[in-house]
Amino acid sequence: MSLRKQTPSDFLKQIIGRPVVVKLNSGVDYRGVLACLDGYMNIAVEQTEEYVNGQLKNKYGDAFLRGNNGMSRKCQFPSSD
Amino acid sequence: SKMADEVEQQTTTNTVEEPLDLIRLSLDERIYVKMRNDRELRGRLNAYDQHLNMILGDVEETVTTVEIDEETYEEIYKSTKRNIPMLFVRGDGVVLVAPPLRVG
Repeated sequence: MSLRKQTPSDFLKQIIGRPVVVKLNSGVDYRGVLACLDGYMNIAVEQTEEYVNGQLKNKYGDAFLRGNNGMSRKCQFPSSD
Repeated sequence: SKMADEVEQQTTTNTVEEPLDLIRLSLDERIYVKMRNDRELRGRLNAYDQHLNMILGDVEETVTTVEIDEETYEEIYKSTKRNIPMLFVRGDGVVLVAPPLRVG
């Protein structure tokens, strides 16, 4: 059980700095480098690009995504699909 | 012991900052806010809270609609803008907050 308490923070430390794809319920994709996140799933992403079908907007610097938007967050791990 | 109380709630602040801390750095700056229902706001961030409720000053709101032409199946984008001197934004409609888009 104590392992479970550690795993969320360890997971956070693992994925911070990695490239991520954040997919919102609305179907919009955000791609960038995960800068930080908090317990509410609010996240800050650097060098963010917004994709709706094709590329729409570039957001340079930090973009803050609110955690409540039914988002799924994929990490682009080198080994998995 | 104070540090221990803080660590319980959040990770230590010297290693990772919270996203909300970074929003704090945008206070008094102009920001871009993407809302649900295809709305965008550009205004000066006067105040915010943990729900992302915000007070924005000197705001330009853009509402975008898409119509599909029945014959050509073309997507016709229309946007309506309005200016609001002072605006309270309820946090649950907020999708994204960023510094305003810069050209070049």
